[in-house]
Parts: sequence; C-alpha cells; structure tokens
Amino acid sequence: MGRIMLENVTKRFGDVEVIPPLDLDINDGEFVVFVGPSGCGKSTLLRLIAGLEDTSGGRILIDGKDATDLAPAKRGLAMVFQSYALYPHMSVRKNIAFPMRMAGIPQDEQNRRIEAAAKALNLTAYLDRRPGQLSGGQRQRVAIGRAIVREPSAFLFDEPLSNLDAALRVGMRLEISELHNRLKTTMVYVTHDQVEAMTMADKIVVLQAGRIEQVGSPMELYKAPKNLFVAGFIGSPKMNLLTGAVAAQHGAATIGVRPEHIHVSPTGGAWKGRVGVSEHLGSDTFFYVEDTGLAETITVRAGGDLELYHGDTVWLTPDPARIHRFDDQGLRIA
Amino acid sequence: MARAASTRRKAATTLIAWTVGLLIFFPIFWTVLTSFKPEAQAIAMPPRLWNFDWTLENYTAVQERSNYFRHFWNSVIISVGSTLIGLIIAIPAAWSMAFVPGRGTRNILMWMLSTKMLPAVGVLVPIYLLARDTGLLDSRILLVGVLTMINLPIIVWMLYTYFREIPGEILEAARMDGATLRSEILYVLTPMAVPGIASTLLLNVILAWNEAFWTLNLTAARSAPLTAFIASYSSPEGLFYAKLSAASTMAIAPILILGWFSQKQLVRGLTFGAVK
Amino acid sequence: MSTKASRTAARLMISPAVLLLLGWMIVPLAMTLYFSFLRYNLLMPGMESWAGFENYRYFFTDPAFWPAMRNTLVLVGGVLMITTIGGILVALLLDQPFWGQNIVRLLVLAPFFVMPTVSALVWKNMFMNPVNGIFAYLARVLGLQPYDFLTQAPLASIIGIVSWQWLPFASLILLTALQSLNSEQMEAAEMDGAGPLSRFWFITLPHLARAITVVILIQTIFLLSIFAEILVTTNGGPGTASTNLTFLVYMQSLLQFDVGLGSAGGVVAIILANIVAIFLMRMIGKNLDA
Repeated sequence: MGRIMLENVTKRFGDVEVIPPLDLDINDGEFVVFVGPSGCGKSTLLRLIAGLEDTSGGRILIDGKDATDLAPAKRGLAMVFQSYALYPHMSVRKNIAFPMRMAGIPQDEQNRRIEAAAKALNLTAYLDRRPGQLSGGQRQRVAIGRAIVREPSAFLFDEPLSNLDAALRVGMRLEISELHNRLKTTMVYVTHDQVEAMTMADKIVVLQAGRIEQVGSPMELYKAPKNLFVAGFIGSPKMNLLTGAVAAQHGAATIGVRPEHIHVSPTGGAWKGRVGVSEHLGSDTFFYVEDTGLAETITVRAGGDLELYHGDTVWLTPDPARIHRFDDQGLRIA
Repeated sequence: MARAASTRRKAATTLIAWTVGLLIFFPIFWTVLTSFKPEAQAIAMPPRLWNFDWTLENYTAVQERSNYFRHFWNSVIISVGSTLIGLIIAIPAAWSMAFVPGRGTRNILMWMLSTKMLPAVGVLVPIYLLARDTGLLDSRILLVGVLTMINLPIIVWMLYTYFREIPGEILEAARMDGATLRSEILYVLTPMAVPGIASTLLLNVILAWNEAFWTLNLTAARSAPLTAFIASYSSPEGLFYAKLSAASTMAIAPILILGWFSQKQLVRGLTFGAVK
Repeated sequence: MSTKASRTAARLMISPAVLLLLGWMIVPLAMTLYFSFLRYNLLMPGMESWAGFENYRYFFTDPAFWPAMRNTLVLVGGVLMITTIGGILVALLLDQPFWGQNIVRLLVLAPFFVMPTVSALVWKNMFMNPVNGIFAYLARVLGLQPYDFLTQAPLASIIGIVSWQWLPFASLILLTALQSLNSEQMEAAEMDGAGPLSRFWFITLPHLARAITVVILIQTIFLLSIFAEILVTTNGGPGTASTNLTFLVYMQSLLQFDVGLGSAGGVVAIILANIVAIFLMRMIGKNLDA
C-alpha cells in the first residue's frame, strides 16, 4: 500500500516561503513525476514526503495515517538519491543489506532478499565490490537495490538519472519503468527533464515557484496545457507562442502551436518565411523559420526527408484544430 | 607538466635543494650521530663525523640515570590520552556543525578558535592554583585534561573541515534506511571519515607531544613528560652531549616519523582549512 | 536542510564541547582578572587584600616591562621576517623539478616535529657553546674568535633557534599554496611576454598573499607565547636581555609567587593576543564562506 496525501502542506525557510499551501493526492501504485525548472521546489516537496525536512504547516498522510511528524525511517518509504548516496566503505552486498540490518531482519532473510534484488538488477557479479569500483549505471542499480529490499510502500527518486550520460539515461529510464510495472509500488519521481516526465509518468505534477501549475496524465498535459507555463514546459521542441495580431484573430492574447502541428510546404501556405537554421536529425527535421511577418521565430518539426536549407523560402500552415488559445492572464481559453 | 625541464637545470636544482635540505636537517642528524659517540668523543674538537667508536652506552645510561621510560610513557599517555578524549568530545560536535549547520554554527566555530588564541600565560596563575588546591599538580590526569582543552578547538575544526567533504545525502540515506543517530555516526559517518579522523589524531598527538608550556609549568619529577624531562638537562652540571643526544633522539624519533606520515594533513590542520 | 529532530540532536551533541571550552575559558579568565586587582602573594597566605590598579601600575613600571615588550616584538617580528622570506625561497626551490623531491621535503619539514626543549638544548650546547660548539669550531677554523652567542646576543640567538623550528611550517604551507597555482595561468602570462621576475611579482606573489597572511597570523599566536626556548637557553637573561612577556609573567607568578602582579601581566598578555586574534579571525572567517 502506498497512498500519499498532502493537505495544505507549506514550507518556509526563514521568511522565504518556498512552498505555498499545497494539496496533492498520490494513489497507490501510481508513478507520479514532479517536474519543473530548477528551484521550483520539487526536491523540497520530495524531502518533505521523505521526512528529511519538517513541514511548516499542513499534514502528510501515508496510507491514511498522519506521518507529518514521523521520523524518515518510520514512514516506510525508500529513497534513491541524485548522487546515489552509497556507503563507500561498504561492499555492494553490505550497502543493500544496511536498511535490513538497521531493521533487525534475520540474516537468512537478508541474504534471500539481497540475492533476489541482485538478480533482478544484474548485480550478482558485483556483490563483493565497493561502490568506487562500479560504473555510474551500476551504482544507480545498487541504490535501487537498497531501496527494493526494504519492500517500502513507496519509492522516492530524486533526479536519479541526472548524473548519467545520455545513452545510459535512456536505458535506466526503461529499467525503472519496468521495475514499476513489475512491483506495482507507488513511485514519486523528481526530474527537471520533461522527456523523463512524459515517458515514465502515470501522472505528472508540473511545479513552478512551489506552486502546482497542473496535474494530469502526460497526454492531458500535452493536449490541454492549463496555462502558458505548462504549454512552454511540456513538449520538445517547445510550443510556438505567438502574440499580437495573429493571436487576436483567434480571440486570444496568446496562441500556441506545437512545432509538429505546423505543415511545411515549399510552395504555398498561410505564413511565408525563410529558413534560418535547419537541424536534420534523419528521422525528423527542425526548421527555425524567420521573416514570417510575425514577431517570433517559428519552430517547425517536419519529416526527415524534407530537404530545405538555410535561406530557402517556405510556407507554414498551422493545424487549426490544434491551436491553443490563452487569455491575457496566460490561462487556457477552452 | 607542460614541459620537461632541461636535465642540466634539473641537476643544478637538485644540488641546491639537497644542500638546503641537508643544512636544515643537519642539527637533527648531528644529534642522532652524537648519541652514538662515547662521551669524550662527543665533545672532541674538531667534531668527529665518522672517526668515532660507535656505542649504545648512552641509551642505556640515560635509562639508568633517570628512568627515561617513565617519562616516555608519561608523554605517550598525555598526548594520546588528551587526543582520544578530544576526539570523543569533538566528533559529535563536528557532526552537528557540518551536517546540521544553523545560524549560530559559524559563530561557535569562530569562538572555539578564539579560545585557542587565549595566551597560556594569561591563565597560568589560576590553573596552577586550582591544580595545587585540588592536589592534581604534577599528575598525568591534570595534563591530559589541560591538553585536551588546549587542542579541542583544533580537533573540532579539523574534523569539521573533513566532515564537510562528506555528502550529506549519504547520511540522509542512512536515516531513510532506518539508522538511528547512533548507528548513523557509528556505522556510516565514522568509517567514511577514517582518513580525516586518523590525520586529526596524528596531528594532535604531535602537538600534544611537543607542548612545552603547560608540561613545563605543571609537572615535576613524577608526571613529567619528555619535554620537561629534557629541560632538566639544561642545568649546567657537566656536559653530557652524548647522553643529551641519546635522550633527545628517543624523544623526537617517534614523533618525527609520525609527522612525516601526516605531512599532507599538517598544512590543512594547522591553517584550519584556510590552505589546502 | 534539516528537521526539528536533527536540530535538537545537533544541539545536544555540540553542547559538551561548547560547555567544556566555555568553562575552560571563563573560569580561569575571571580568576586572572580578579587576582589582578588583589594584593596576593603565595608566600604570605591569608594576606590577600584589594589593590585596585596597583598591580597594573607595578607591572607597567617594572624595569623589566618595557624590555619585555620590546623583546616580545623583536622576537615575533624577527622570526616572522626570517621564516616568511626564507619560507618563500624554500617553497620556490622545492616547487622546481629535481631528483629526490620527496626526501628533501621530509628533511626540510623535520625541525617542526622537534620538541622546543630538545631543539633549544641541542642548539645551545652542540652549536652555540663557545667552547665545544660547532660554531666555535668553525670560527676557529676561519681564524676568528669564538662567539658566545647566548651571552653576547641572547635574543638574536633565540630568534635563530625559533626560526629554525618554524621555517618548515612556513615552507610547507607556502609550497602547498604554490602547488595550487594553476599552471595555465603561468603559461598564459608567459605567452603574454612576462619574464620570470614579473611572473613572480604579478602572479606568484599575489597568489601566495593569502597563504603568507595565514603563515604570519598563525605563527604570531605561537610566537607571542614562546617560553620553553627561553627557559632552557638563557632563563631570560642576561639581565632582561631575552625576557619576553610570557617569561616575565612566569617569573613574577611562579618564581616570585606574586599572584596579583602575575595576573595583571596575564591580562596584558591576553589583551595583546586579542588584538592579533581579531585580524586572524577575520581572515579565516572569510574563508569559511568560500
């Protein structure tokens, strides 16, 4: 079981309110991702749930019980840290055993769980090594192993992939997702990378300045961002946000069109412009189109085989059904 | 290194550097050498660099004449004892300041340092009188206590600078893993900080071993460590160069070797982390 | 970055150290201050009476006071000058590539680990003794009259001995600082056409500035309370020629048993040391934030 509820939770450091009153409901078995730019309070929120920080107000309920003033160890949660936080003086086996040793679990039970975790995480061959002798990905798996053996009611991940190189990150992302599918345990995952959020989450919580901007499934956020912040944050490349006359035509202060929702043609369309930079990835091509008569440079995503280069004239046509409209407060107009 | 220096230049530097090094080291070398000479040859003019009769008689003579090992043992107990007690008091304090820093932490650290700057002579009279009135004068307990207080600020500071390099996340991980504060310090922090704790220990044993104000003023025959024992050779009751050298060699040899091992940490410890 | 529980624990765990040091500082300090206003001699027990500022007047008018002040300053200043300049030279030398670097570093460092009483006695007897010392021998070889260092130039001799003890400290710290100098910075200066001298003056020396300050301030703390070296070699003499403030207070309180006068001297020493300390604390305090 791992249902976590935050009721009116606030956090102040001195006079600075980093998290204004906040409510959130994390259901049992859900994979929830906190995403936002650095300094948005997502890590603080995770540490509040973990019990590594005190709340300044409000209540934290875990499985219906008030855990607000409970010591971290008593909350039944396991955490994977950004730096992995492995104990460098202990072997992998001892690292994984440590929480069980602290809980006083019998030795043979400890061994059974260690073997099982090592097998699941491909660590069996490394059990007697020290963390210093492992690669980044292996250390990450040890940290996860240490979390699994406690059989926690929920896992907390604090930007666990940010110290890995790009290739390894994709691999670990898949492993964590598979782990979640297998264990079906609640996972709360903090990242600043919206790709991680989109690919892994059942539910994304977008945070800015300690406030929740929007909560929803990845596709909800993608299809119907509640405000300009979410619109700009979710999706890569970023949504084009246009103001002025074009927006007014649609009865909005700002309109947003995703790069993949603009049709590119070398022969004709709504907006005529010139290709500035073109990035050919093979599968896709990104064009940064200038001189369209709009104030903003327009980013467009097109098929990989469209051969247009710097200086070429293009015509752009936004998909009218997928234009997002925002009012002068930045809120979505339904 | 971007460039290899020319061999000739390196040879010249080698010559100069070794000359400087040997000159600085010469008094120690000469003391050790003299300790192996018969007393008559120790004061012989011209000084004898090699043409003397090697002997160990000075070492046995020093022990017989003055019960040398009692004083050696006093030095060991006083320096190691004060350092160990200092560590036991300082480890929790350094943990607090390194991992739960608050608004007062900085001030406490600075204040601790300032006690170190209290000139010993400023509190000599009251300490002496208190020791006399409690009957602790000339006891090893008194010196262990005094040197613990003298070196406590340095121990706290050194441990603090070492602890600060240990990521707090690891201790938080231990907390999440269910470790109590005691297990956190005992099983996670202390083993990780072993190199730092060891060099703190070494440096403070060295400082306490060589401390020569309190040891000279608060001890007499019974509990005198080597600093005070050697000072007794200053009375001009005849020249015993060879015996003085033997006693000196035994007094400095252990600490010199310890010092050589801890030279890297020395800078950091003695400058309170200001120079690394 | 913490919870209430851990802050409470932190306060609990820091308190033994704080309370002990507080006691160590306040109790004797208060006693020294109190005694300094008393007429109090150990030879006349039970005769203590209030003296006002009399002890201070006696202390400042003691014929040994001004020589002791002067000697303290000369001793500190002389040793600082020799060890700092010598330390820079030694550090520059040891920073060059040569064979046996590690061994030479150990040789240079060694005197720091020699206890003060040993080094004072070794220098006094085996080097500076006008009859049997090595210096006397060298003088005779050169056809000169042997010089009685500790009688004819007691303070300078003590400065020499103490400098020998502290040169390793200065050298090691400055060498450590030198080694942290970014070699790319040196190469950039070389590309910019700076010769060895201007490189030393414009890059090396400013880089060393902080380490030099640390060396000076930390040594000052220790040098202000030089004691064993004087006790063993000259006993403060001849006359007051090598008496420093620490030694003067020692003589008054433990040799003449005048607790009141000694305490007044102690208070003066504390005030002097505090002036130095304030500078040092600022320095290190700044470093805490970095």
